[in-house]
Amino acid sequence: MKLLRFLFRFAAIGLCAGAVLPAQSEWEHSLVSIEVTSKVYDAFQPWNDPTRAVRKHGLVIGPGEVLTTAQNLPTHTLVRLQKGGRGRWYDARVTWWDAQSNLALLTADSPAFWEGLQAASLAEAVSRGPDFELIRWRDGNLEERRVEFGQFTVGEGVLGFAPHVQMEVAADLSGLGWAEPIMREGRVLGLTTHSNGRVCGVLPAAFIRRVLAAHRAGTFTGLGYFDFTWQAGGNPELLKELGLEGPSRGGVVNRAGHVTDPEKAPQPRDIILAVDGFEVDSEGDYLDPDFGHLVLENLANRAHFAGDTVKLRLRRGAEERTIDYVVPKARFTDELVPREVFGTPPVYLVTGGLVFQPLTQPFLRGWGDEWRKYAPFRLQYYQYADAHDHRDSLVVLTGVLPDAINLGYQDADLSVLDRVNGRSIATLTDLAEALKTASPEGVHRFEFMRGHNLQRLLLDAATLDEATRRVVEHYGLPAAARF
Amino acid sequence: MWLAALVLLGCAWGVTLRAEEAPPEQAVVQILTSSQVPDFASPWRFEPVMRSSGTGFVIAGRRILTNAHVIAWAKQILVRRYQDPRLLTARVVFAGHDCDLAVLELEEPAQLADVKPLQFGELPPVQSTVVTCGYPAGGDQMSFTRGVVSRIEVQPYAHAGNRALLAVQTDAAINPGNSGGPVFQGDKVVGVAFQGIPGLQNAGFFIPPEIVEHFLKDIADGHYDGFPQAGVTLEPLQNPAYRRVLGLVDDGRGARVDSLRFGGPAAQVLRPDDVLLQAGGYPVGSDGMIPYQRNRVAVGVAFQQPQAGEALRLSVFRESRTLEVDIKMEAYAGDRLAGRQYDEPPRYFIYAGLIFTPLSANYLETFGDPGRDYLWKGLAELTYQLYHLDTEAPGAVRPEPVVLSGILPHAVNADLALRGRVLVNRINGVRIERLEDVRRALLENHGARHLIEFNTPEHGMLEALDRAAASAAHAEILRTYGIVSDQRL
Repeated sequence: MKLLRFLFRFAAIGLCAGAVLPAQSEWEHSLVSIEVTSKVYDAFQPWNDPTRAVRKHGLVIGPGEVLTTAQNLPTHTLVRLQKGGRGRWYDARVTWWDAQSNLALLTADSPAFWEGLQAASLAEAVSRGPDFELIRWRDGNLEERRVEFGQFTVGEGVLGFAPHVQMEVAADLSGLGWAEPIMREGRVLGLTTHSNGRVCGVLPAAFIRRVLAAHRAGTFTGLGYFDFTWQAGGNPELLKELGLEGPSRGGVVNRAGHVTDPEKAPQPRDIILAVDGFEVDSEGDYLDPDFGHLVLENLANRAHFAGDTVKLRLRRGAEERTIDYVVPKARFTDELVPREVFGTPPVYLVTGGLVFQPLTQPFLRGWGDEWRKYAPFRLQYYQYADAHDHRDSLVVLTGVLPDAINLGYQDADLSVLDRVNGRSIATLTDLAEALKTASPEGVHRFEFMRGHNLQRLLLDAATLDEATRRVVEHYGLPAAARF
Repeated sequence: MWLAALVLLGCAWGVTLRAEEAPPEQAVVQILTSSQVPDFASPWRFEPVMRSSGTGFVIAGRRILTNAHVIAWAKQILVRRYQDPRLLTARVVFAGHDCDLAVLELEEPAQLADVKPLQFGELPPVQSTVVTCGYPAGGDQMSFTRGVVSRIEVQPYAHAGNRALLAVQTDAAINPGNSGGPVFQGDKVVGVAFQGIPGLQNAGFFIPPEIVEHFLKDIADGHYDGFPQAGVTLEPLQNPAYRRVLGLVDDGRGARVDSLRFGGPAAQVLRPDDVLLQAGGYPVGSDGMIPYQRNRVAVGVAFQQPQAGEALRLSVFRESRTLEVDIKMEAYAGDRLAGRQYDEPPRYFIYAGLIFTPLSANYLETFGDPGRDYLWKGLAELTYQLYHLDTEAPGAVRPEPVVLSGILPHAVNADLALRGRVLVNRINGVRIERLEDVRRALLENHGARHLIEFNTPEHGMLEALDRAAASAAHAEILRTYGIVSDQRL
């Protein structure tokens, strides 16, 4: 009851705050610190669940609501909030997060946390600078620094691959990217997501508002993306070859997406002339009324979410046509090598000391910050491949825990499974099923994808379960498998 | 000075030289090379002339043996004899880049008439003492260092980049400039110094006598074929379950055939899961090794002993029977482009400013840092094509994949979004299997435009050129960029 009374009081404050914005000196009543303890994936011992704690920022945006970026939250074990840059930490809950938009909402159950806080307002209008302010808590004090507007761009998010508009700012500050608000004249223009040298990426407020509004309305279906690929139509000779005379324009499709029906999706050699009524220029850009020239990928999410229909005006051979293209949802599970795996703890299966995991980008990132240089090339190359032999996921032998049963296979790791006991393997479930039936010779036959790696190995079937138990005990695994 | 050296060498080698015998170092020469490496990205162009030095030694026939990397891409080779002020000009007679050996001749061979050629000894035993001799960096005079044979095993030969042969590791200092120099044991040459491992101290490598002799025997007919390859990948067979399934007891014998190169000589006679019991008379252990002169070395050594065209006898266990089979060994050139190439400048064809050249290891090295960032999909695709496609999808392999290396900017090609570093898939509908296909597809097209498709069919970008304008601009582009010839085919 006490909580409800508090929330009502807070709601009143929040409504007022939407109109009467906190003065710059009052940001300490809106900007809060967030401490996130989250599980970190151990690529080579996936049964381990080490944790890491980071601090970032959150913005009070409404009654019992703190807005922040989704980074570090998908695998959290503990989230706490602190107001005023110092003092008590309050337990918090993640009420919603979305990886593709990189947004999350938190709340705290303790009424004491909300006392004295007031909601900040996300700007509706797009501002181009030239200068903004950035605020952050630093050593218990509110630091306010000037940053320079750079440009609006379209790119994948830090956590996801759905393209959306982003803002670049330049700052003479290090260590940014922890959801520090960017603001101007008392309104929040965006939250930082990452930094690279002086350049800092920012989620624009207009984008945040749209996603949050849909979320609150229960209509947010997730961000989408164009699953076909295209190239800029800047070469007039190529356009002529494809049947389009006149000035250079449009985007030439060079790879179809998952939908093969030409009435519903663009096909290779189609020229995309307009999307949702926006003409596509020879750079593959359109003129956005809010953000200026942006690449056409943004139109997947500018006014739509996944599952919506986008009108594509195409040149296909000699004729022009408009098709209704349904924007696919950006899902990690649709990728042969998923960029992220959230929602479940890392899965694995150990059998006879052989450690199998799904081939994912988090696994490849086990090679460190420069994993793109050092992770095995062949494993990385699967990221560029289409579904392999009708498989939409892959299983890789990620390690060998030495045991008598796997003698001779100590160096057999980092190979992708093709078949086990004759059964095609795409998931750990496939593998577990395949292991239920040994070959007539009394062994389990593991065959790997063709390549320079080991092609096959056999494990004794009669002693496999006993060996697995022995390995689990000897190496201190919590379990032989986690699905 | 000479006396001092003699004493030193006498002590080092433990031999007593008679007064009338020439000391062995008289047969050791310094080789001064001026070389010019082509730019594989701009293949009509060469890098600035580089000067380097190495070592060589006189062998029978008034010839000089050295490393192939000492004379690679040489424009001029000068030889300086021991304590002789003259610079003698030499030429390459044979270069075996796979084994990093080369034979030189002086333009006037008689200038070596008074030099007693060095003789080869046997593979030195591990822990025995050897002396390296050569002209390493840090001084002008001949240098001698003594060390022990640390180990003997198959090592990657860095010069070619995709070959591994028997090599001897020693803690005797082998530094730049030593390359090609003799390694002595007594008065016999037991190796040719050739490479080290960056960051590893006291670890130099020399090429053992059997590799040298194989090379010399190979060139005896006036042609160098190279070390043969069977096209078989063998794996240890130590797992009890695998041995049981294949009908073998746990006696430490036999390595398992894991894969076979499509179309290779081994594929004619072997099958996956055959067990190799003997190769060339050597018993093959379950660890994939053979006993070899008191060492255990990889079974590949047995496969490298025959000359190309000769047969290698194998003893194979298959389906509970032991078979004797012969493999006719061949020097495999199918992975030529995946190794570093030397001496032959890259092929190319230029049309309307578009530079086409074969995809090769040399070409990929023009991208810079060998620790590559495969984030860039274009590089990943080229890497896959060059190094992996042949084992994974041999039917899709192009004999000579061609890349659009770059574009010489001109109005006629200025609108092309792709500016190079990409595989060429098809031109005017012709699948590009080799460079000649590019020329034919472009010059035999009579349509209004040239249509070029890049990368794989599934991920192909497209570009087009106005044919008449391209043809008209072609000569002007060559003039503008100072290119004498539009092709080297």
